[in-house]
Amino acid sequence: MSEHVVEATPVGGLAIHANNLTKKFLEEFAVKDVSFDIPVGKIFGFIGPSGSGKTTTIRLLTGIYEPTEGQVQVLGKAPKDFTASIREQIGYMPQMFVLYPDLSVWENLNFAASLYGMNPVGRRAKLTPWLDFVELTDHKTKLAKNISGGMQRRLALAATLVHDPALVFLDEPTAGIDPVLRSKFWDRFRDLQSQGRTLFITTQYVGEAVHCDIVGVLVAGQLVALDTPEALRKRAYGGEIVDLETKEPITFEKMFQIQNMDFVKGRIRPVGTNRLRIIVDEASTAIPDLISWCNENGLSTESVSEYVPPFDDVFVQIIETEQEKQGAQSGAADE
Amino acid sequence: MSNLIHSLIRISAFLGKEIAEVVRQPRLILSLVLGPFLILLLFGIGYKNEPRAVRTLFVADPDSPLAQQIEENAASISPQLIYSGVVPDEQTALNRLRQGSVDLIAIAPQDAYQTIRNNKQAGFTLYHNEIDPAQAGYIEYLGQIYVDEVNRRVLISMVQEGQTETLDVQAEIKDARSNATRMRQALQTGDVLTARMYQQRLNANVTNLSTVLGASAALLSGVEQNVGSSGENTENQDIIAVLAELQQQTGDSADNPVSQSDTSEEISRLDKVDQDLNQLEERLSEFQRISPDVLVRPFTVETRTISTTQMTAVDFFTPSVIVLLLQHIGVTIAALSIVRERRSGTMELFRVSPVSSLETILGKYLSYLVFGAFLAAILSLLIFYGLRIPMLGAWQDYALVCLALLFTSLGLGFLISLLADTESQAVQLAMITLLLSVFFSGFILDLRYFWEPVRIVSYAIPATYAINLLQNIILRGKDIIPLFMGGLLAIGVVLFITSWLLLRRSMARR
Repeated sequence: MSEHVVEATPVGGLAIHANNLTKKFLEEFAVKDVSFDIPVGKIFGFIGPSGSGKTTTIRLLTGIYEPTEGQVQVLGKAPKDFTASIREQIGYMPQMFVLYPDLSVWENLNFAASLYGMNPVGRRAKLTPWLDFVELTDHKTKLAKNISGGMQRRLALAATLVHDPALVFLDEPTAGIDPVLRSKFWDRFRDLQSQGRTLFITTQYVGEAVHCDIVGVLVAGQLVALDTPEALRKRAYGGEIVDLETKEPITFEKMFQIQNMDFVKGRIRPVGTNRLRIIVDEASTAIPDLISWCNENGLSTESVSEYVPPFDDVFVQIIETEQEKQGAQSGAADE
Repeated sequence: MSNLIHSLIRISAFLGKEIAEVVRQPRLILSLVLGPFLILLLFGIGYKNEPRAVRTLFVADPDSPLAQQIEENAASISPQLIYSGVVPDEQTALNRLRQGSVDLIAIAPQDAYQTIRNNKQAGFTLYHNEIDPAQAGYIEYLGQIYVDEVNRRVLISMVQEGQTETLDVQAEIKDARSNATRMRQALQTGDVLTARMYQQRLNANVTNLSTVLGASAALLSGVEQNVGSSGENTENQDIIAVLAELQQQTGDSADNPVSQSDTSEEISRLDKVDQDLNQLEERLSEFQRISPDVLVRPFTVETRTISTTQMTAVDFFTPSVIVLLLQHIGVTIAALSIVRERRSGTMELFRVSPVSSLETILGKYLSYLVFGAFLAAILSLLIFYGLRIPMLGAWQDYALVCLALLFTSLGLGFLISLLADTESQAVQLAMITLLLSVFFSGFILDLRYFWEPVRIVSYAIPATYAINLLQNIILRGKDIIPLFMGGLLAIGVVLFITSWLLLRRSMARR
């Protein structure tokens, strides 16, 4: 495994530029008006439920599908203009295990290397580190059909990387594997990022968004959110969340007073009789203010801390917000 | 240069992969090589290259002379005709046929003698229970042989009777010769009255001769006319001609009774009569010496081959089996190849990778050609050395045809693979190709039996060309026939280009 450098840095430092990317199958939209930019060296997480259009997007980006509308540039080229040398800089790991079950782990890796024109001389020395990278060195003589599902995913990852690609597309690489291995996978992805590679990763596990530099949320073929994980979280709830717990019950009057504080955004939510979940501008500045206010208003604070909601909740919130927005838009259109 | 090297590396990717995958399936190799070898071996051991014996039951009136003759002759008529008895009624015989206790029912004609006397042929009726047209044809052929044999026996008995009758003719000739001598003596002494008397007796003798000799003379004459006499006998006249001349000589005498004035002319005519009688006697002796069997069946046939090796049925079928097997291997492995890649999803990897459709198809061709050639080599060793099948031609020609066949068959397989949506569809199409080849490639049925437009199908099948080429190389020791090799390769090239274009379309963006 080399200390990697992206060989052809595209103009503007973007690995991928997609503009109003649309794909229709017959009359049905699989992907609609999707636009995003992915800078070189970033991990882009594409999150969405099954059937939301993630794989179709990857296929549009890798040149398997032709867009119905819109433009896309990958490593500075439109997929229809991909040359062999551009393709050699792209790695693609499909959603399913598509390698050969009757070949050994090593033979599969060797096949993938040959497919990318890797010179047989010295190939062994180049492949072995990738085998170590995915921890399959001890299993290299086993047939692919005789290794576990997790090992097969790791083999597929190694096969995607053997030719040292600058841009790696991973279609649900962690699907169906246990949390420990998923965590290991993300460690590997960060290693790859640290080598300068750009990673485009799709996943159904919303929680994995936290590992990405940029996250796109795809729902029914439409990109409903695109931002950093932190910004998405903030956007989902309208700010950061602070949990306030007091020793005494919080009266309705006091709740009203908190609601009217300047840094509070949106409605506060009581959780029991002496606990509130408050959305604020900045948790770091809001917490001291809240403590002061409680002391001044006869409330003893049991605990005041920032609540970081899991990304599953963030995702649900984003979806609900999106649905509300769409509902409002359609209502306005009806009027 | 670098691009070319990268391209070669990509092509080689398939070589290693495909061979490794196949090597992982030793049972497949074993079945592909040993299977056909064992089938050929079993065929060689088990196939009896001799006509099938047919159990025959006759239906005839037990009291008729024909029934007696059937019983006497049936057993000895043909070794393929097994006499199973004579029954008087048709229904009993048909029941036995339906039960399968006999293979053939031969119903003798009712009152054959009267039918023939009425100037009609008396017909045997045959019943069989065969559903195989070839077997039905064989039964018909056997029936024809049986009837020919019956006819021959009737003719032999007629000839035998004719030959017996000619023994009586000898006495008549002797009497005629004696009357001629006495007539000559009477003429020389000037006894015209006595001469006239012997002239009348001589005339009577010749009339008797022509009556008695009629059928036999016509028979012999017929043989002579149809066959043509050989060079040494061209001066000899046949019996009919001799008789005619004799009748003319004696007729002339009868028309011109002997008179005192023309004795010398009459004596010279008697000399001619003497000569004719001698010739007639000679020809009759010849007729009696000829066997009746030779007379009624004067011709036989003996077939010889100009091939230097005597071929058995196994020898004959070996080239076809090799061809069908190699074609089937080629078609099947190629047919499953791309459809499997497409179904498993690896095709998606190819489409993202730098490998092109041309490199993919070339890589696959190369892999399967190597694998097919390896199988062909093992199979050939087993067949030619294990079964001792003769190889009269050149090994390099044999190898070239095998490679050309594999190339073309792979093309057919790839075409199937690119048209089929599923593996089962691909297998089904490969089996249809095999079935088509069994019927239309000349493997079982000679192409000359087919209606000419249908032969287009035959010549669209690679096996048709390869069977012809290998039969000529292996069994006749001929060189490669350029026309057939050209045809085989032309189909191969067309299939290669078509498969490549289809694969390119399949790998293109959509």
